[in-house]
Amino acid sequence: MTTISTTALRETPPEPEWVALDPRVVPLWRVSHLIASGVLFLFAVVPGTIVGTFVFPPAWPWIIGFWLALAALRIWLFFWHPPRVYRAWGYRIDDRVLEIRHGILFRVLQLLPLSRVQHVDVQRGPLERRYGLASLILHTAGTHAAILTIPGLDAAEAVRLRDRLIAVAESGGDDAV
Amino acid sequence: MPSEPLHEEGLPESGSSAETTRNPWAEDVAPLMPQPTTAASPTAATAAAGVLEGRLHPYTLLFALIQVVRSVLLPAIVLLFVGNPRVAFGYLILFAALPAIFSLVRYFTFRYRIAGGELVTEQGIFQRTERHIPLTRVQDVRLEQGVLHRLFQVVDVHIETAGGQGAEASLSVLAQAEADRLRQAVFAASPALITAGEAAKNVGAGDAGPSASAGAARHEREVPVREIRLRDLVLAGLASNHLASSLALVFGAWAFVHEFLPRGFYQRHFRTVFRTAVRWWEQGGENSAWVLGVALLVLLVLVGMLMSVAGNVMLFYGFRLSLRGEDLHRVYGLFTRRASSLPRRRIQVIKIEESLPRRLVGLATLRADTAGSAAATAGQERTGRDVLLPVVPRAEVEPLLPAFFPDLDPEPPDWRRVSPRAIRRGAGPGTLLCLLLAGGLFYLRRDPATALAPLLPIPLFWLASALAYRRLGYALGLSYLWTRRGALSRATHVVPIRNIQAILVRQTPFDRTHRVASLRVDTAGQTYTGGGPQIGNVPAEDALALARTLARQAAHVRYRW
Repeated sequence: MTTISTTALRETPPEPEWVALDPRVVPLWRVSHLIASGVLFLFAVVPGTIVGTFVFPPAWPWIIGFWLALAALRIWLFFWHPPRVYRAWGYRIDDRVLEIRHGILFRVLQLLPLSRVQHVDVQRGPLERRYGLASLILHTAGTHAAILTIPGLDAAEAVRLRDRLIAVAESGGDDAV
Repeated sequence: MPSEPLHEEGLPESGSSAETTRNPWAEDVAPLMPQPTTAASPTAATAAAGVLEGRLHPYTLLFALIQVVRSVLLPAIVLLFVGNPRVAFGYLILFAALPAIFSLVRYFTFRYRIAGGELVTEQGIFQRTERHIPLTRVQDVRLEQGVLHRLFQVVDVHIETAGGQGAEASLSVLAQAEADRLRQAVFAASPALITAGEAAKNVGAGDAGPSASAGAARHEREVPVREIRLRDLVLAGLASNHLASSLALVFGAWAFVHEFLPRGFYQRHFRTVFRTAVRWWEQGGENSAWVLGVALLVLLVLVGMLMSVAGNVMLFYGFRLSLRGEDLHRVYGLFTRRASSLPRRRIQVIKIEESLPRRLVGLATLRADTAGSAAATAGQERTGRDVLLPVVPRAEVEPLLPAFFPDLDPEPPDWRRVSPRAIRRGAGPGTLLCLLLAGGLFYLRRDPATALAPLLPIPLFWLASALAYRRLGYALGLSYLWTRRGALSRATHVVPIRNIQAILVRQTPFDRTHRVASLRVDTAGQTYTGGGPQIGNVPAEDALALARTLARQAAHVRYRW
């Protein structure tokens, strides 16, 4: 199988090892899943059921059945999705290039020459702070891929990575014309 | 009102346009260009010393007045006919007064100067706004002269930087000589060979040191790169895609007339035309009706072609692209003359565009993006900013490229094809649809003749897909990446690897089953080149290897604005 995440990547020998995200990001994603499900429940399930039962009372078993199926799907996603996404994410960095990979079905590999980094943000949302995590946001001068993100890094590690990236970006390339 | 002084919309940009001085003819374009050597050197000296300052030309007020009158004219007419004249008058005063006061304030407070490697503009009374633009960040200086501007010998100057929203600074209007001096000073202070880092240091220290040497380089002779012959412009106009749009225009106009004309008038004329047609038809049988219809269609087509030829000639008449030192200059336009200069190293991507009609007459269009063009607004086609070279014989494109990319690899690109599965994937969906349709028809009708009809286009899909596959490819040179696509209408992108910002390799689930991936290269500014180079159906391993090579090579060279 030739896929981005398996064989082909291992075929280039001098590449550094892929670094995984901090494992604490899995519970973090689960919590955000819960929050999303809660919002869905509040704004779709409850009003939908009430309105549906009033408009067409005999339909209530179907409505309940539909919501149960949806709930089952969300529960399955809650357990299955975060670890799977976690395994898909990865980054690696050598002296010149940062590579980021992610995506389960649609796989994406982003390669960023370090001398192209314009600036780097470390972003910590309220949930991330609770888990001691941070996201690294890299800006380039590009257009459609001008912003690259690495989520779920240990906060201290994110800062360290940022400093390293900035140091490399400042030292720049060889300036060969 | 004076508190938002950076907004330029109210200024005479739309109607104005740029022209050179006395006559529109190509030979006379020179005034928009820098005066070659002797006359220019004192200016350069001042620029290097960092003292060039000034304010807007008094005619600014005149053009502001024209702008105000023009913006108020249409509402005025409507209001006068519809509403109470006194109320209407009050509204008009209000609407005219605000922009007028704004323009007055702007004119009297606006100052600019070039000092310490920066262009500084100031304006405003209560809220003074001072804008500093590092000259090393200037992407493009555009001069525009409408017919009126030409009459009064003044110019609109727009200065664009990387990442700015539209023009970073608009100086409208300046005297012609003043505009030339400004343009020269801007480019004299941003030498092509200093790096962004050094430039930043220089700016920080307020040191204009390297300007002097660069100033010398700036005054090399002007080397013509390309002029566009009238013949090519006309040909390109004939072979442009405006036919459909002019047809739409005609139908739109007809609907409009239909709405507005008094019913009787409309019917009377229609009846006359109809009666004539009927008479013809009665005389000559069916044939003359056909003749009439065809004649009408031909007339429409001719009018459309004439319009696009006229549009092309008006916009691009006397187009001249030349190189002075490291700067590219373009001058063009019949009535409204426009000029722009950009350092050629600011070109991020070049696209060679061959639409089908133009390809049939052997012509191509060259488009280029600078880092500043990312934020450009719509409607650029009407000003010709979207094209680097609007019309050029296809065979002469490759010899021209070194003028834009001096370090272009001397060997022609070594094209590599993508995976042959591209043919299957290209024709697949259409084939599947046709098969389904045929199956459905057979199920419904049980008539083989009807059911087989949807299968007819299938070979066409495969032919088109195979043709497209043969033209799809990429080439990696020493310092350039080429991509090309399209069989009937073609597009070729040339990207200097030093300009690559990021590289994306994507795999959809379908890509995975075919063991291919798509590769996309991100650069600064992809407005005019249509999204920049991307190539699909590359064998996954090749895509990864190519991406890594590009990334490592790009990382070696520092990116310069």
